[in-house]
Amino acid sequence: MTNTSGTINMILAALGGEGGGVLTNWVIDVADREGWLCQSTSLAGVAQRTGATIYYLELFPRDRLQGGAMPVMSLFPAQGDIDIAIASEIAEAGRMVQRGFVTPERTTLIASDHRVYGITEKEHLADGIVDATVLQSVAGQYARNYIHYDMLALANEHGTVISSVLLGALAGAGVLPFAKDSYRAVISATGKAVASNLAAFEAGYERASSDGVEQFQPPPAPEADTAGFRLPAATTAEGQTLLQRLQGFPESCHEILYLGLQKLVDYQDYAYAHQYLDELESLLAPGAGSDEQTLVRECGRYLALWMCYEDIPRVAQLKTRPDRVEKIRSEVRAEPGQLFAVTEFFRPRVEEMCALLPVRLGRWVQASPACRRFLGWFTGGKRLRTNTVTVFLLLRGLAGLRRWRRWTLGYSHEHALIQSWLQAVRSTAGSDQALALELVECGRLVKGYGDTRARTTAQMQAILAHAATGSASAAGIAALREAALADDEGRAFAQAMAA
Amino acid sequence: MAERSFAQEVLKLRAGDGDVFRGEGILAITKALLQSGVSYVGGYQGSPISHLMDVLNDAREILAELGVHFEANGSEATAAAMLSASVNYPLRGAVTWKSTVGTNVASDALSNLASSGVTGGAMVIVGEDYGEGSSIMQERTYAFAMKAQMWLLDPRPNLPSIVDMVEKGFGLSEASNTPIFYMMRIRGCHVTGEFVARDNVAPGFSNRNPVQPRREPEKIILPPHVYAQEREKISQRLPAALAYIKEHKLNEVFPGRHQQIGIIVQGGVYNTVIRALQRQGLADPFGNTEIPLYVMNVAYPLVPDELVEFCRDREQVLVLEEGQPEYVEQGIHTVLRRANVDTRVRGKDIMPQAGEYTGQVTLEGITRFLEQAAPAVPLALSSVDVEALRNPLSEDDQQALLVNVPPRPSGLCTGCPERPLFSAIKQVQKELGPFHISSDIGCHSFATLAPFNLGNTIMGYGLSLASSSGIRHSLPHKSISIMGDGGFWHNGLTSGVSSAVFNKHDGVLVIVDNGYSAATGGQDIPSMVEPNQIIATTLDAASASRTDAQSIEAACRGAGVKWLRTVSTYSIDAMMDTLREALTTSAPGLKVIVAEGECMLNRQRRIKPLMKQAINSGKRTVRARFMVDSDTCTGDHACIRISGCPSLTIKPNPDPLRRDPVSYVDNSCVGCGVCGSNAHAAILCPSFSRVDLIYNPGRVDRIAARVRGAVIGWLQARTARRQQETAL
Repeated sequence: MTNTSGTINMILAALGGEGGGVLTNWVIDVADREGWLCQSTSLAGVAQRTGATIYYLELFPRDRLQGGAMPVMSLFPAQGDIDIAIASEIAEAGRMVQRGFVTPERTTLIASDHRVYGITEKEHLADGIVDATVLQSVAGQYARNYIHYDMLALANEHGTVISSVLLGALAGAGVLPFAKDSYRAVISATGKAVASNLAAFEAGYERASSDGVEQFQPPPAPEADTAGFRLPAATTAEGQTLLQRLQGFPESCHEILYLGLQKLVDYQDYAYAHQYLDELESLLAPGAGSDEQTLVRECGRYLALWMCYEDIPRVAQLKTRPDRVEKIRSEVRAEPGQLFAVTEFFRPRVEEMCALLPVRLGRWVQASPACRRFLGWFTGGKRLRTNTVTVFLLLRGLAGLRRWRRWTLGYSHEHALIQSWLQAVRSTAGSDQALALELVECGRLVKGYGDTRARTTAQMQAILAHAATGSASAAGIAALREAALADDEGRAFAQAMAA
Repeated sequence: MAERSFAQEVLKLRAGDGDVFRGEGILAITKALLQSGVSYVGGYQGSPISHLMDVLNDAREILAELGVHFEANGSEATAAAMLSASVNYPLRGAVTWKSTVGTNVASDALSNLASSGVTGGAMVIVGEDYGEGSSIMQERTYAFAMKAQMWLLDPRPNLPSIVDMVEKGFGLSEASNTPIFYMMRIRGCHVTGEFVARDNVAPGFSNRNPVQPRREPEKIILPPHVYAQEREKISQRLPAALAYIKEHKLNEVFPGRHQQIGIIVQGGVYNTVIRALQRQGLADPFGNTEIPLYVMNVAYPLVPDELVEFCRDREQVLVLEEGQPEYVEQGIHTVLRRANVDTRVRGKDIMPQAGEYTGQVTLEGITRFLEQAAPAVPLALSSVDVEALRNPLSEDDQQALLVNVPPRPSGLCTGCPERPLFSAIKQVQKELGPFHISSDIGCHSFATLAPFNLGNTIMGYGLSLASSSGIRHSLPHKSISIMGDGGFWHNGLTSGVSSAVFNKHDGVLVIVDNGYSAATGGQDIPSMVEPNQIIATTLDAASASRTDAQSIEAACRGAGVKWLRTVSTYSIDAMMDTLREALTTSAPGLKVIVAEGECMLNRQRRIKPLMKQAINSGKRTVRARFMVDSDTCTGDHACIRISGCPSLTIKPNPDPLRRDPVSYVDNSCVGCGVCGSNAHAAILCPSFSRVDLIYNPGRVDRIAARVRGAVIGWLQARTARRQQETAL
């Protein structure tokens, strides 16, 4: 695969902390062992501060040297002049393709399938994650060979960083004329984490060489949501009654509604779950077509979430779950049996406290400056050690308050809103399916705590008010919803409402 | 203590005659300086020559063995002034900085140095940060070299040439009594290769062999000498330089068989030109070319005799000069017209005016030139082929990538102490804003990007306070300037603080004090941050690593600041209160807030080995980290929007009913506590928890855990039973 310059050209993109520099040095050392000259250079991104670092290497066999003359190698990767492109992450592979460094005639692309999300994906108000399958399919089209799998998972499996798996993939791809032993020797020579790096190298090598060249196959289109879901058998008598009612719904709704019922029973009680089905049944027209089914299913999704709004008892309930300690253990990667303390960061506001009071009392307290001042003493930031007995008992006590939830101000407030939302959906469902579905989809907006909750709720109310005027269209509602998710200061939403 | 340690690599600097030296460009330059017998070295860090400062710093022992004096200068101006040692005495000296920003800072001293002239070789190694991957405004050093008359070396980017040109550069400087710019491009600084070393040379004068103090009044820049110096530049120094360059063959001619044309190129771009010719089938792997080349390793001054000789018998030449304006091209025109040579000179007429000459740009330009100037020369790729390479993607695929390749703007590191500061400012802005903020150079510049989006102008290193002086009377709020500790010592104390106090500036200055020149790679600066216990880890270095710190507070007070507060950046509430007070107080004069928090990269480097050691030796150790409870997270990501921490990311929502990904703290968390403080300060949500992992638990830990486990476990077992009884 040599070209007129006689070199093998390789570009490598790695994010900060992924060991791109280490990998580059390994390749230089492997080349040296094999009697090849290697020139490397980089556009250094220092530590985590500057996105991806690009390394560029050119290799030339010493046995082709003539006399004392040294080859002249380029310091720039150039479009159409790359033999091997390595990306530690799939979006970075996409960037390489975008920049023209991957060409079908020449370039072997080695890229891990995992994602490291960019800030624009992370800061999105809902779901800003890009479509990695698009990246993969484009990458597969433009690469001569495309070697890809989740290399980070493999690295984690062996308790090391991705650079050793990438080296394995490079060796296993067979694109460099170097013996596997040279790679192994270079890793051993570093003297650092040799065993884990060698194991990860081997695993990377195996994946790359055994699967041969993987041409990207787009994953099969996802089946309808219902595929594969079988309604589990009831474990209690009350559960049996609920599931029997659920049978009355189209099959395509079963999974979501079942999950909804589960959540509601856990959140409150069986009656609350029946209440949920009552609302959904009123939406269900006999002999519903697939559009109507979607409407019920999606309404079931957001209604369940909304009915299980996160008040103080709910948060306390979730924080005292029996399985929580083990969840935390795996999340923070504690060793089995290792002791740890857990400190929760709470900051309830007066509003959340009032939401727990009976409706009239709650309203009165909220309106009384003196009471607000009094409650204000308890609103500072709280750090609670949930692994201590006192705090655990306190939270358990708070969780127990859910018995009285139906009589609280918070409940009446949320359910009034829920009713106006459902009313809007019902009143449009008959005449304009698409509009009704868009209104249902607005249920996605209602989330968060404190100011976020207040903002999203207000936006929901504004959308419903707009729908009530009768001049709303499906596209208009969708646009409003998008605007609500565009920024968290409500600027885009205010503009969209004004338009 | 810099980010990258060269402790191992610098041992190579001891290599002697005949040893093969392998390494990076930066290290090769250091070795070349030692081989040239330098007496003193200095500089100021900044990409791409930060590592040169780090190498020199790590090589102190070797420098001391030779009697070479090293200073980590306070600024580029300091470094330039250091070169005055070479004015009266035959001392060789070299300083380094990032150009053109550093050259601008140094310009006063440089101009005077260039006027006085030097006796010993004086060299400024500039990291020319021009082109893709650059971090500053795009200008070149070339103009400065011309107007101050300093020679500019731009060697071919291979280690033997780089080393050779350092040694010859000192010769040129001494032969022409002129200081030299030695230019290194970003990629050249980092290029790896090998060269055959020579013995290091101890300087003729040092603390072991002091000079005899000597006055040369004609070298002082006062009338009437300045005028004489200006004439001497032209009458003596320039001719001497041209003679030396010719005699020692600093520039190179590579002959080729197509003699009717030629390419004139600066040394630094030579490899890219050869690659383009290789791809066109016009050069072999070793650079033997069919197109004649004139390679200017000395970019300034031009050598008229050499140019005339190279061009005289050619129909057309192509001048490849990166950047604008095209000084070299203009100079060649002048040379040729004066000599009445009518060779056609091509350059910026077919090459882009602005920007780096990358592989693709150079290939396109050379192809265009050859097709027009020598149509008979067969090419492997036509200009149509070459242009197609620029973008091989179909329109649909381009669009798909445009939408799906997320940008990765620079951001603050995991646990960075500046993050909570900007979270605090962002929250205060909600109450009192919107703000106009004068920003500065440093990691804190990244606050101007997502997710903070704070800051309006950046005028230079340490110049934020100065740059708010014109706008302050027109703002609806007190002016706000943010400056780093690096910028403060570099320039900000004088041009900012003392000037502001003198002018009764009523604004707020936030000095981000992280203890290092962090953005350039964590070099030490005069002040430092005392280790503190705010961050949730039991282990911390009990005492500071240095005992010679200079205090920012004392410096400000000395400059007349009356209102001064020092706040830990990690205390977001306290920081918000302080900001609010500073912005609303009726106290007159400058309000200075020293926002203190040690650079987390440096801190981790310090603490990680200590922690490992403590754990391995069986000592009870607590390591804190944060997590997001995915059961209570609703996927709004407000926490990310006020933080942007790399370890705070997202993952698919475990609740199949929810569609939006939940926030997630990955394993790189260092437990700085900002998530928790933000959850409190911004009243976010109850999803953040701190987990204190206990290594080598003591008896108290174990007993407490057993008791708690028994009680809580019993209660939870009841809950689990009830859950089962009330399931579906």
